[in-house]
Amino acid sequence: MITVENLTKRYGSTTAVQDVAFTVQPGSITGFLGPNGAGKSTTLRMLTGLTPPTSGTATITGKRYADLPNPGRVVGVMLDAAAQHPGRTGRETLLLNASLLGVPKTRADEMLEAVGLGHAAKRRVGQYSLGMRQRLGIASALLGDPAVLILDEPANGMDPEGIRWMRGLLQDFASRGGTVILSSHLLGEVQATVDRLVVIGGGRIVANGSLEELLAGSGTLVRGLDPIGLNEALTAAGLNLEPLHDGVLRVDATAEQVGRAAAAAGQILLELRQSDGAGLEDLFFQLTAEPSQPVAAAA
Amino acid sequence: MTTVTDVAPATTAKHRSEVATSLPPARGQSFLKLVTIELRKSVNTRSGRVLIAAILLIALAALTWQFTHLPQGDAGFEGFLGAASTGVMLLLPVIGVMAMTSEWTQRTALTTFTLSPRRVRVQLAKFVSAVVLSVVVMTAVVALALASTALAGGITDHAASYAGLGGQLAGAYLTVALNVVMGAAFGAVIPQTAVAILAYFIAPTAWSLAGPALFKDNANWLDVFGALGRIAERDLHGMVPETLVSVGVWIVLPTVLGLWASSRREVK
Repeated sequence: MITVENLTKRYGSTTAVQDVAFTVQPGSITGFLGPNGAGKSTTLRMLTGLTPPTSGTATITGKRYADLPNPGRVVGVMLDAAAQHPGRTGRETLLLNASLLGVPKTRADEMLEAVGLGHAAKRRVGQYSLGMRQRLGIASALLGDPAVLILDEPANGMDPEGIRWMRGLLQDFASRGGTVILSSHLLGEVQATVDRLVVIGGGRIVANGSLEELLAGSGTLVRGLDPIGLNEALTAAGLNLEPLHDGVLRVDATAEQVGRAAAAAGQILLELRQSDGAGLEDLFFQLTAEPSQPVAAAA
Repeated sequence: MTTVTDVAPATTAKHRSEVATSLPPARGQSFLKLVTIELRKSVNTRSGRVLIAAILLIALAALTWQFTHLPQGDAGFEGFLGAASTGVMLLLPVIGVMAMTSEWTQRTALTTFTLSPRRVRVQLAKFVSAVVLSVVVMTAVVALALASTALAGGITDHAASYAGLGGQLAGAYLTVALNVVMGAAFGAVIPQTAVAILAYFIAPTAWSLAGPALFKDNANWLDVFGALGRIAERDLHGMVPETLVSVGVWIVLPTVLGLWASSRREVK
Protein backbone atom coordinates (compact mmCIF):
# COMPACT_ATOMS: atom_id res chain seq x y z
CA MET A 1 0.00 0.00 0.00
CA ILE A 2 1.20 3.47 -0.92
CA THR A 3 0.11 6.53 1.05
CA VAL A 4 0.94 10.04 -0.06
CA GLU A 5 -0.09 12.90 2.21
CA ASN A 6 0.17 16.65 1.57
CA LEU A 7 3.30 16.19 -0.48
CA THR A 8 4.84 19.47 -1.61
CA LYS A 9 8.11 20.17 -3.42
CA ARG A 10 9.45 23.63 -4.09
CA TYR A 11 12.57 24.49 -6.04
CA GLY A 12 13.36 28.04 -5.05
CA SER A 13 10.28 30.04 -5.90
CA THR A 14 8.75 27.46 -8.27
CA THR A 15 6.43 24.85 -6.85
CA ALA A 16 6.80 21.55 -8.69
CA VAL A 17 4.30 19.62 -6.58
CA GLN A 18 1.66 21.18 -4.36
CA ASP A 19 -0.22 19.37 -1.61
CA VAL A 20 -0.49 16.05 -3.44
CA ALA A 21 -2.37 13.28 -1.63
CA PHE A 22 -3.56 9.86 -2.74
CA THR A 23 -3.43 6.21 -1.72
CA VAL A 24 -2.89 3.08 -3.75
CA GLN A 25 -4.54 0.00 -2.26
CA PRO A 26 -3.23 -3.57 -2.45
CA GLY A 27 -4.80 -5.54 -5.27
CA SER A 28 -5.16 -2.57 -7.58
CA ILE A 29 -3.33 -0.89 -10.42
CA THR A 30 -3.34 2.89 -10.37
CA GLY A 31 -2.47 4.92 -13.43
CA PHE A 32 -0.62 8.14 -12.65
CA LEU A 33 -1.23 10.56 -15.49
CA GLY A 34 -0.25 14.09 -16.31
CA PRO A 35 1.42 16.14 -19.01
CA ASN A 36 5.19 16.57 -19.06
CA GLY A 37 6.30 18.90 -16.29
CA ALA A 38 3.11 18.43 -14.28
CA GLY A 39 5.01 16.96 -11.33
CA LYS A 40 4.61 13.25 -12.09
CA SER A 41 8.27 12.33 -11.97
CA THR A 42 8.92 14.59 -8.99
CA THR A 43 6.14 12.82 -7.08
CA LEU A 44 7.48 9.36 -7.99
CA ARG A 45 10.98 10.46 -6.98
CA MET A 46 9.74 11.70 -3.61
CA LEU A 47 7.92 8.41 -3.19
CA THR A 48 11.16 6.49 -3.77
CA GLY A 49 13.37 8.61 -1.54
CA LEU A 50 15.40 10.14 -4.37
CA THR A 51 14.15 13.67 -3.79
CA PRO A 52 13.41 14.97 -0.30
CA PRO A 53 9.96 16.59 -0.11
CA THR A 54 9.68 20.19 1.07
CA SER A 55 6.76 19.10 3.23
CA GLY A 56 4.37 16.19 3.55
CA THR A 57 5.02 12.46 3.66
CA ALA A 58 5.02 9.49 1.35
CA THR A 59 5.00 6.01 2.83
CA ILE A 60 5.12 2.50 1.44
CA THR A 61 3.59 -0.22 3.62
CA GLY A 62 3.56 2.39 6.38
CA LYS A 63 7.23 3.35 6.22
CA ARG A 64 9.11 6.14 4.53
CA TYR A 65 11.08 4.74 1.61
CA ALA A 66 14.44 5.67 3.16
CA ASP A 67 13.47 3.81 6.35
CA LEU A 68 12.95 0.50 4.56
CA PRO A 69 15.91 -1.69 5.59
CA ASN A 70 16.16 -3.29 2.15
CA PRO A 71 13.71 -1.44 -0.11
CA GLY A 72 14.03 -3.82 -3.05
CA ARG A 73 12.39 -6.59 -1.00
CA VAL A 74 9.27 -4.51 -0.44
CA VAL A 75 8.94 -2.31 -3.49
CA GLY A 76 10.07 -2.82 -7.06
CA VAL A 77 11.02 0.44 -8.73
CA MET A 78 11.66 1.25 -12.37
CA LEU A 79 11.97 4.96 -13.01
CA ASP A 80 14.06 4.90 -16.18
CA ALA A 81 14.81 1.74 -18.10
CA ALA A 82 17.59 3.51 -19.99
CA ALA A 83 19.56 4.12 -16.80
CA GLN A 84 21.42 0.81 -16.87
CA HIS A 85 25.13 0.31 -17.38
CA PRO A 86 25.66 -0.55 -21.06
CA GLY A 87 28.85 -2.47 -20.26
CA ARG A 88 27.21 -5.13 -18.07
CA THR A 89 25.32 -8.12 -19.35
CA GLY A 90 21.64 -8.43 -18.50
CA ARG A 91 22.42 -11.34 -16.21
CA GLU A 92 25.24 -9.50 -14.41
CA THR A 93 22.93 -6.51 -13.87
CA LEU A 94 20.43 -8.75 -12.10
CA LEU A 95 23.06 -10.77 -10.21
CA LEU A 96 24.44 -7.53 -8.76
CA ASN A 97 20.99 -6.54 -7.51
CA ALA A 98 20.23 -10.09 -6.32
CA SER A 99 23.31 -9.99 -4.14
CA LEU A 100 22.25 -6.67 -2.61
CA LEU A 101 18.68 -7.88 -2.04
CA GLY A 102 19.86 -11.14 -0.52
CA VAL A 103 18.04 -13.39 -2.96
CA PRO A 104 19.68 -16.44 -4.57
CA LYS A 105 21.35 -16.24 -8.00
CA THR A 106 18.76 -18.63 -9.40
CA ARG A 107 16.16 -15.92 -8.82
CA ALA A 108 18.00 -13.69 -11.32
CA ASP A 109 17.86 -16.41 -13.97
CA GLU A 110 14.19 -17.10 -13.21
CA MET A 111 13.35 -13.43 -13.66
CA LEU A 112 15.28 -13.22 -16.93
CA GLU A 113 13.21 -16.14 -18.21
CA ALA A 114 10.03 -14.62 -16.82
CA VAL A 115 10.49 -11.41 -18.79
CA GLY A 116 11.56 -13.24 -21.94
CA LEU A 117 15.23 -12.26 -21.85
CA GLY A 118 16.64 -15.76 -21.26
CA HIS A 119 18.17 -15.78 -24.74
CA ALA A 120 19.84 -12.37 -24.24
CA ALA A 121 21.12 -12.95 -20.69
CA LYS A 122 24.76 -12.97 -21.71
CA ARG A 123 24.54 -9.96 -24.03
CA ARG A 124 25.63 -6.54 -22.89
CA VAL A 125 22.83 -4.13 -22.06
CA GLY A 126 24.34 -1.67 -24.55
CA GLN A 127 23.12 -3.98 -27.31
CA TYR A 128 19.56 -4.20 -25.93
CA SER A 129 16.68 -2.38 -27.58
CA LEU A 130 14.62 0.00 -25.43
CA GLY A 131 11.91 -2.66 -25.18
CA MET A 132 14.45 -5.17 -23.90
CA ARG A 133 15.74 -2.66 -21.36
CA GLN A 134 12.18 -2.17 -20.15
CA ARG A 135 11.92 -5.93 -19.69
CA LEU A 136 15.23 -5.98 -17.82
CA GLY A 137 13.98 -3.11 -15.66
CA ILE A 138 10.82 -5.07 -14.88
CA ALA A 139 12.88 -8.16 -14.06
CA SER A 140 14.99 -6.04 -11.74
CA ALA A 141 11.89 -4.57 -10.08
CA LEU A 142 10.39 -8.03 -9.52
CA LEU A 143 13.67 -9.55 -8.31
CA GLY A 144 13.01 -9.14 -4.59
CA ASP A 145 9.42 -10.43 -4.85
CA PRO A 146 8.04 -7.05 -3.75
CA ALA A 147 4.48 -6.28 -2.68
CA VAL A 148 4.52 -2.89 -4.39
CA LEU A 149 5.56 -1.82 -7.89
CA ILE A 150 6.37 1.77 -8.91
CA LEU A 151 6.89 2.06 -12.65
CA ASP A 152 7.53 5.19 -14.70
CA GLU A 153 6.52 4.71 -18.35
CA PRO A 154 6.95 0.92 -18.34
CA ALA A 155 5.38 0.46 -21.79
CA ASN A 156 7.65 3.05 -23.41
CA GLY A 157 9.48 1.53 -26.39
CA MET A 158 7.66 -1.80 -26.23
CA ASP A 159 6.07 -3.45 -29.22
CA PRO A 160 2.36 -4.37 -29.10
CA GLU A 161 3.20 -7.91 -28.02
CA GLY A 162 5.37 -6.53 -25.21
CA ILE A 163 2.66 -4.12 -24.10
CA ARG A 164 0.11 -6.92 -23.92
CA TRP A 165 2.58 -9.07 -21.98
CA MET A 166 3.21 -6.22 -19.53
CA ARG A 167 -0.53 -5.70 -19.03
CA GLY A 168 -1.00 -9.39 -18.21
CA LEU A 169 1.97 -9.35 -15.84
CA LEU A 170 0.73 -6.31 -13.92
CA GLN A 171 -2.85 -7.57 -13.71
CA ASP A 172 -1.60 -10.91 -12.43
CA PHE A 173 0.61 -9.13 -9.90
CA ALA A 174 -2.32 -7.05 -8.65
CA SER A 175 -4.68 -10.02 -8.58
CA ARG A 176 -2.29 -11.70 -6.16
CA GLY A 177 -2.63 -8.72 -3.83
CA GLY A 178 0.16 -6.55 -5.20
CA THR A 179 0.01 -2.76 -5.28
CA VAL A 180 0.92 -1.07 -8.56
CA ILE A 181 1.32 2.55 -9.56
CA LEU A 182 2.43 3.31 -13.10
CA SER A 183 2.75 6.43 -15.15
CA SER A 184 2.22 6.42 -18.88
CA HIS A 185 1.44 8.61 -21.83
CA LEU A 186 -0.17 5.74 -23.73
CA LEU A 187 -3.73 6.53 -22.69
CA GLY A 188 -5.30 3.58 -24.51
CA GLU A 189 -2.90 1.28 -22.73
CA VAL A 190 -3.59 2.92 -19.38
CA GLN A 191 -7.31 2.51 -19.88
CA ALA A 192 -6.85 -1.18 -20.66
CA THR A 193 -4.62 -1.83 -17.66
CA VAL A 194 -5.53 0.25 -14.64
CA ASP A 195 -8.36 0.14 -12.11
CA ARG A 196 -7.87 3.61 -10.76
CA LEU A 197 -6.54 6.92 -11.98
CA VAL A 198 -4.69 9.75 -10.33
CA VAL A 199 -4.32 12.73 -12.65
CA ILE A 200 -1.86 15.51 -11.88
CA GLY A 201 -1.79 18.89 -13.61
CA GLY A 202 0.29 21.93 -12.73
CA GLY A 203 1.63 20.15 -9.64
CA ARG A 204 -1.80 19.44 -8.15
CA ILE A 205 -4.06 16.40 -8.18
CA VAL A 206 -6.92 17.22 -10.54
CA ALA A 207 -8.68 13.85 -10.50
CA ASN A 208 -8.52 10.77 -8.32
CA GLY A 209 -10.93 7.88 -8.59
CA SER A 210 -11.81 4.62 -10.25
CA LEU A 211 -11.52 4.44 -14.00
CA GLU A 212 -15.25 3.78 -14.35
CA GLU A 213 -16.21 6.74 -12.20
CA LEU A 214 -13.95 9.11 -14.04
CA LEU A 215 -14.98 7.93 -17.48
CA ALA A 216 -18.70 7.74 -16.64
CA GLY A 217 -19.22 11.21 -18.04
CA SER A 218 -17.82 10.39 -21.41
CA GLY A 219 -20.98 8.72 -22.65
CA THR A 220 -22.14 5.94 -24.92
CA LEU A 221 -21.55 5.44 -28.62
CA VAL A 222 -24.50 4.26 -30.64
CA ARG A 223 -25.11 3.59 -34.33
CA GLY A 224 -28.47 2.75 -35.85
CA LEU A 225 -29.85 1.53 -39.16
CA ASP A 226 -31.52 4.94 -39.57
CA PRO A 227 -29.17 7.56 -38.10
CA ILE A 228 -31.58 10.47 -38.53
CA GLY A 229 -34.51 8.60 -37.01
CA LEU A 230 -32.30 7.46 -34.08
CA ASN A 231 -31.08 11.01 -33.54
CA GLU A 232 -34.69 12.27 -33.36
CA ALA A 233 -35.77 9.42 -31.06
CA LEU A 234 -32.95 10.03 -28.59
CA THR A 235 -33.41 13.81 -28.65
CA ALA A 236 -37.12 13.31 -28.07
CA ALA A 237 -36.24 11.15 -25.06
CA GLY A 238 -34.38 14.17 -23.65
CA LEU A 239 -30.85 12.80 -24.11
CA ASN A 240 -27.89 15.03 -25.00
CA LEU A 241 -26.04 13.82 -28.04
CA GLU A 242 -23.38 14.71 -30.53
CA PRO A 243 -23.18 13.20 -34.04
CA LEU A 244 -19.76 11.77 -34.89
CA HIS A 245 -18.54 10.26 -38.19
CA ASP A 246 -20.34 7.48 -40.12
CA GLY A 247 -23.65 7.93 -38.39
CA VAL A 248 -22.25 7.23 -34.92
CA LEU A 249 -23.81 9.27 -32.13
CA ARG A 250 -22.13 10.01 -28.82
CA VAL A 251 -24.81 10.21 -26.15
CA ASP A 252 -24.41 11.54 -22.61
CA ALA A 253 -26.29 8.62 -21.11
CA THR A 254 -25.85 4.99 -20.11
CA ALA A 255 -26.19 2.19 -22.65
CA GLU A 256 -29.42 1.19 -20.94
CA GLN A 257 -30.99 4.65 -21.33
CA VAL A 258 -29.99 4.74 -25.00
CA GLY A 259 -31.29 1.21 -25.60
CA ARG A 260 -34.64 1.96 -23.97
CA ALA A 261 -35.13 5.20 -25.91
CA ALA A 262 -34.28 3.44 -29.16
CA ALA A 263 -36.56 0.50 -28.40
CA ALA A 264 -39.43 2.81 -27.51
CA ALA A 265 -39.13 4.47 -30.91
CA GLY A 266 -38.67 1.17 -32.72
CA GLN A 267 -35.15 2.10 -33.87
CA ILE A 268 -32.83 -0.78 -34.84
CA LEU A 269 -29.35 -0.55 -33.31
CA LEU A 270 -26.24 -1.82 -35.05
CA GLU A 271 -23.77 -0.81 -32.35
CA LEU A 272 -24.07 0.25 -28.73
CA ARG A 273 -21.07 0.61 -26.43
CA GLN A 274 -19.29 2.66 -23.84
CA SER A 275 -17.25 5.45 -25.35
CA ASP A 276 -13.60 4.43 -24.85
CA GLY A 277 -10.06 5.61 -25.66
CA ALA A 278 -11.09 9.00 -26.85
CA GLY A 279 -12.96 9.23 -23.55
CA LEU A 280 -9.80 9.05 -21.50
CA GLU A 281 -8.04 11.31 -23.96
CA ASP A 282 -10.78 13.95 -23.72
CA LEU A 283 -10.85 13.62 -19.96
CA PHE A 284 -7.08 14.00 -19.81
CA PHE A 285 -7.12 17.24 -21.80
CA GLN A 286 -10.09 18.60 -19.90
CA LEU A 287 -8.41 17.96 -16.57
CA THR A 288 -4.90 19.04 -17.39
CA ALA A 289 -5.48 22.02 -19.70
CA GLU A 290 -3.76 25.14 -18.45
CA PRO A 291 -6.41 27.62 -17.24
CA SER A 292 -5.00 30.27 -19.60
CA GLN A 293 -5.44 28.06 -22.65
CA PRO A 294 -8.87 27.57 -24.24
CA VAL A 295 -10.17 24.09 -23.56
CA ALA A 296 -10.73 22.29 -26.89
CA ALA A 297 -11.81 25.42 -28.73
CA ALA A 298 -14.46 23.53 -30.75
CA ALA A 299 -17.37 25.09 -28.88
CA MET B 1 -9.91 5.16 -32.18
CA THR B 2 -8.68 2.14 -30.30
CA THR B 3 -10.38 -1.21 -30.33
CA VAL B 4 -12.76 -2.20 -27.60
CA THR B 5 -10.62 -3.13 -24.67
CA ASP B 6 -11.56 -5.56 -21.98
CA VAL B 7 -10.78 -4.07 -18.61
CA ALA B 8 -10.06 -6.92 -16.25
CA PRO B 9 -12.82 -7.36 -13.71
CA ALA B 10 -11.72 -6.33 -10.25
CA THR B 11 -10.80 -9.63 -8.68
CA THR B 12 -11.00 -10.06 -4.95
CA ALA B 13 -7.42 -9.63 -3.88
CA LYS B 14 -5.73 -12.36 -1.96
CA HIS B 15 -3.28 -10.85 0.42
CA ARG B 16 0.20 -11.27 -0.84
CA SER B 17 1.63 -12.82 2.27
CA GLU B 18 -0.53 -15.85 1.51
CA VAL B 19 1.44 -16.48 -1.64
CA ALA B 20 4.17 -18.95 -0.83
CA THR B 21 7.59 -17.62 -1.67
CA SER B 22 10.80 -19.55 -1.59
CA LEU B 23 13.02 -16.52 -1.08
CA PRO B 24 15.02 -16.11 2.12
CA PRO B 25 13.73 -13.49 4.57
CA ALA B 26 14.65 -9.89 3.85
CA ARG B 27 17.63 -8.50 5.73
CA GLY B 28 19.21 -5.08 5.85
CA GLN B 29 22.31 -4.25 3.86
CA SER B 30 25.51 -4.66 5.85
CA PHE B 31 28.39 -2.29 5.11
CA LEU B 32 30.51 -5.26 4.07
CA LYS B 33 27.83 -6.23 1.57
CA LEU B 34 27.86 -2.72 0.11
CA VAL B 35 31.66 -2.78 -0.21
CA THR B 36 31.54 -6.18 -1.95
CA ILE B 37 28.93 -4.89 -4.39
CA GLU B 38 30.97 -1.77 -5.15
CA LEU B 39 34.10 -3.87 -5.72
CA ARG B 40 32.17 -6.06 -8.11
CA LYS B 41 30.83 -3.02 -9.96
CA SER B 42 34.31 -1.66 -10.55
CA VAL B 43 35.56 -4.86 -12.20
CA ASN B 44 32.47 -6.14 -14.04
CA THR B 45 32.46 -3.53 -16.80
CA ARG B 46 34.82 -3.28 -19.72
CA SER B 47 36.03 0.21 -18.76
CA GLY B 48 36.91 -0.98 -15.25
CA ARG B 49 38.83 -3.99 -16.53
CA VAL B 50 40.62 -1.94 -19.20
CA LEU B 51 41.79 0.54 -16.57
CA ILE B 52 43.24 -2.21 -14.36
CA ALA B 53 44.81 -3.98 -17.34
CA ALA B 54 46.34 -0.67 -18.47
CA ILE B 55 47.87 -0.08 -15.04
CA LEU B 56 49.41 -3.56 -14.99
CA LEU B 57 50.69 -3.19 -18.56
CA ILE B 58 52.33 0.13 -17.75
CA ALA B 59 53.98 -1.44 -14.71
CA LEU B 60 55.16 -4.33 -16.86
CA ALA B 61 56.56 -1.99 -19.51
CA ALA B 62 58.38 0.07 -16.88
CA LEU B 63 59.81 -3.09 -15.31
CA THR B 64 60.99 -4.33 -18.69
CA TRP B 65 62.70 -1.00 -19.34
CA GLN B 66 64.33 -1.10 -15.91
CA PHE B 67 65.41 -4.68 -16.55
CA THR B 68 67.19 -3.76 -19.75
CA HIS B 69 68.71 -0.59 -18.30
CA LEU B 70 70.03 -1.86 -14.99
CA PRO B 71 72.42 0.61 -13.31
CA GLN B 72 75.84 -0.35 -12.06
CA GLY B 73 75.89 -2.54 -8.98
CA ASP B 74 73.08 -4.59 -7.46
CA ALA B 75 69.69 -5.05 -9.14
CA GLY B 76 67.72 -3.47 -6.29
CA PHE B 77 64.05 -4.01 -5.57
CA GLU B 78 63.84 -0.30 -4.84
CA GLY B 79 64.78 0.50 -8.43
CA PHE B 80 62.20 -1.89 -9.84
CA LEU B 81 59.43 -0.74 -7.52
CA GLY B 82 60.24 2.90 -8.25
CA ALA B 83 60.14 2.32 -12.00
CA ALA B 84 56.87 0.38 -11.83
CA SER B 85 55.24 2.85 -9.42
CA THR B 86 55.64 6.02 -11.48
CA GLY B 87 52.95 5.19 -14.01
CA VAL B 88 50.89 3.21 -11.53
CA MET B 89 50.69 6.11 -9.09
CA LEU B 90 49.43 8.29 -11.90
CA LEU B 91 46.63 5.94 -12.94
CA LEU B 92 45.56 4.28 -9.69
CA PRO B 93 43.76 7.40 -8.38
CA VAL B 94 41.60 7.20 -11.49
CA ILE B 95 40.14 4.04 -9.92
CA GLY B 96 39.12 6.26 -7.01
CA VAL B 97 37.69 8.96 -9.25
CA MET B 98 35.74 6.47 -11.34
CA ALA B 99 34.38 4.67 -8.29
CA MET B 100 32.56 7.88 -7.40
CA THR B 101 31.72 9.31 -10.82
CA SER B 102 30.81 6.39 -13.06
CA GLU B 103 27.38 5.87 -11.51
CA TRP B 104 26.47 9.48 -12.21
CA THR B 105 27.95 9.45 -15.70
CA GLN B 106 26.24 6.15 -16.58
CA ARG B 107 23.07 7.16 -14.72
CA THR B 108 23.06 3.91 -12.75
CA ALA B 109 22.94 6.08 -9.61
CA LEU B 110 19.19 5.97 -10.10
CA THR B 111 19.11 2.21 -9.49
CA THR B 112 21.83 2.24 -6.86
CA PHE B 113 20.17 4.85 -4.68
CA THR B 114 16.67 3.41 -5.02
CA LEU B 115 18.01 0.04 -3.88
CA SER B 116 20.16 1.66 -1.14
CA PRO B 117 18.59 4.98 -0.14
CA ARG B 118 21.10 5.75 2.62
CA ARG B 119 23.53 7.39 0.27
CA VAL B 120 26.38 8.26 2.64
CA ARG B 121 26.83 4.57 3.48
CA VAL B 122 26.97 3.74 -0.22
CA GLN B 123 29.49 6.52 -0.86
CA LEU B 124 31.66 5.38 2.05
CA ALA B 125 31.49 1.83 0.68
CA LYS B 126 32.74 3.21 -2.62
CA PHE B 127 35.72 4.87 -0.87
CA VAL B 128 36.58 1.62 0.90
CA SER B 129 36.13 -0.43 -2.26
CA ALA B 130 38.38 1.93 -4.24
CA VAL B 131 41.10 1.64 -1.60
CA VAL B 132 40.78 -2.16 -1.46
CA LEU B 133 40.92 -2.44 -5.25
CA SER B 134 43.95 -0.19 -5.55
CA VAL B 135 45.74 -2.10 -2.80
CA VAL B 136 45.06 -5.33 -4.70
CA VAL B 137 46.37 -3.83 -7.94
CA MET B 138 49.39 -2.39 -6.10
CA THR B 139 50.06 -5.85 -4.67
CA ALA B 140 50.11 -7.27 -8.19
CA VAL B 141 52.60 -4.56 -9.15
CA VAL B 142 54.74 -5.32 -6.09
CA ALA B 143 54.69 -9.00 -7.00
CA LEU B 144 55.86 -8.13 -10.52
CA ALA B 145 58.62 -5.95 -9.09
CA LEU B 146 59.73 -8.75 -6.74
CA ALA B 147 59.74 -11.23 -9.61
CA SER B 148 61.75 -8.84 -11.76
CA THR B 149 64.31 -8.36 -9.00
CA ALA B 150 64.67 -12.11 -8.51
CA LEU B 151 64.89 -12.65 -12.26
CA ALA B 152 67.53 -9.96 -12.60
CA GLY B 153 69.52 -11.62 -9.81
CA GLY B 154 69.14 -14.99 -11.52
CA ILE B 155 69.89 -14.33 -15.19
CA THR B 156 71.99 -11.15 -15.25
CA ASP B 157 75.36 -10.58 -13.63
CA HIS B 158 73.77 -8.11 -11.18
CA ALA B 159 73.04 -9.39 -7.68
CA ALA B 160 69.44 -9.10 -6.47
CA SER B 161 69.05 -6.72 -3.54
CA TYR B 162 66.04 -6.23 -1.31
CA ALA B 163 67.49 -3.57 0.98
CA GLY B 164 64.84 -1.54 2.81
CA LEU B 165 62.00 -3.71 1.47
CA GLY B 166 59.60 -3.18 4.39
CA GLY B 167 59.95 0.59 4.41
CA GLN B 168 59.52 0.87 0.66
CA LEU B 169 56.38 -1.25 0.74
CA ALA B 170 54.85 0.70 3.61
CA GLY B 171 55.55 3.97 1.80
CA ALA B 172 54.15 2.70 -1.49
CA TYR B 173 50.89 1.40 0.02
CA LEU B 174 50.38 4.54 2.11
CA THR B 175 50.85 6.77 -0.92
CA VAL B 176 48.51 4.64 -3.00
CA ALA B 177 45.80 4.71 -0.35
CA LEU B 178 46.04 8.49 0.15
CA ASN B 179 46.12 9.21 -3.58
CA VAL B 180 43.12 6.98 -4.23
CA VAL B 181 41.12 8.55 -1.42
CA MET B 182 42.01 11.96 -2.83
CA GLY B 183 40.87 10.85 -6.30
CA ALA B 184 37.65 9.48 -4.84
CA ALA B 185 37.07 12.72 -2.94
CA PHE B 186 37.46 14.73 -6.15
CA GLY B 187 35.09 12.32 -7.87
CA ALA B 188 32.54 12.72 -5.10
CA VAL B 189 32.62 16.50 -5.43
CA ILE B 190 32.56 16.55 -9.25
CA PRO B 191 30.34 13.80 -10.66
CA GLN B 192 31.62 13.95 -14.27
CA THR B 193 34.47 11.47 -14.79
CA ALA B 194 36.49 13.56 -17.25
CA VAL B 195 36.15 16.83 -15.33
CA ALA B 196 36.97 15.18 -12.01
CA ILE B 197 40.09 13.53 -13.42
CA LEU B 198 41.24 16.83 -14.92
CA ALA B 199 40.63 18.66 -11.65
CA TYR B 200 42.44 15.95 -9.70
CA PHE B 201 45.52 16.23 -11.89
CA ILE B 202 45.54 19.94 -12.59
CA ALA B 203 44.53 21.68 -9.35
CA PRO B 204 47.25 20.39 -7.00
CA THR B 205 49.88 20.54 -9.75
CA ALA B 206 48.93 24.12 -10.53
CA TRP B 207 49.31 24.93 -6.85
CA SER B 208 52.67 23.20 -6.57
CA LEU B 209 53.87 25.32 -9.50
CA ALA B 210 52.22 28.65 -8.72
CA GLY B 211 52.17 28.43 -4.91
CA PRO B 212 55.93 28.71 -4.21
CA ALA B 213 56.23 31.64 -6.65
CA LEU B 214 53.44 33.52 -4.92
CA PHE B 215 53.79 32.56 -1.28
CA LYS B 216 57.39 31.34 -0.98
CA ASP B 217 57.73 28.82 1.86
CA ASN B 218 54.18 29.40 3.01
CA ALA B 219 53.05 27.44 -0.05
CA ASN B 220 54.17 24.29 1.78
CA TRP B 221 51.01 24.54 3.83
CA LEU B 222 48.99 23.56 0.79
CA ASP B 223 51.50 21.45 -1.16
CA VAL B 224 49.79 18.07 -1.10
CA PHE B 225 52.43 16.34 -3.25
CA GLY B 226 55.13 17.44 -0.85
CA ALA B 227 53.02 16.16 2.03
CA LEU B 228 52.36 12.82 0.35
CA GLY B 229 56.06 12.52 -0.46
CA ARG B 230 56.95 13.05 3.21
CA ILE B 231 54.34 10.51 4.27
CA ALA B 232 55.72 8.00 1.75
CA GLU B 233 59.18 8.48 3.24
CA ARG B 234 57.61 8.15 6.68
CA ASP B 235 59.68 11.15 7.69
CA LEU B 236 57.79 14.41 8.02
CA HIS B 237 61.00 16.48 8.24
CA GLY B 238 59.57 18.41 11.18
CA MET B 239 56.72 19.67 9.01
CA VAL B 240 53.88 18.02 10.90
CA PRO B 241 51.44 20.98 10.82
CA GLU B 242 52.13 21.69 7.13
CA THR B 243 51.58 18.02 6.25
CA LEU B 244 48.35 17.84 8.24
CA VAL B 245 46.99 21.04 6.71
CA SER B 246 47.81 19.93 3.16
CA VAL B 247 46.19 16.55 3.67
CA GLY B 248 43.26 18.23 5.40
CA VAL B 249 42.64 20.70 2.60
CA TRP B 250 43.26 18.42 -0.39
CA ILE B 251 41.96 15.10 0.95
CA VAL B 252 39.79 15.40 4.06
CA LEU B 253 37.92 18.54 3.01
CA PRO B 254 36.95 17.26 -0.48
CA THR B 255 35.97 13.92 1.08
CA VAL B 256 33.56 15.58 3.51
CA LEU B 257 32.33 18.01 0.87
CA GLY B 258 31.88 15.17 -1.62
CA LEU B 259 29.91 13.01 0.81
CA TRP B 260 27.67 15.95 1.60
CA ALA B 261 27.22 16.96 -2.05
CA SER B 262 26.52 13.49 -3.36
CA SER B 263 24.03 12.75 -0.62
CA ARG B 264 21.98 15.77 -1.70
CA ARG B 265 22.60 15.70 -5.43
CA GLU B 266 19.56 15.29 -7.68
CA VAL B 267 19.73 11.84 -9.29
CA LYS B 268 18.89 12.22 -12.98
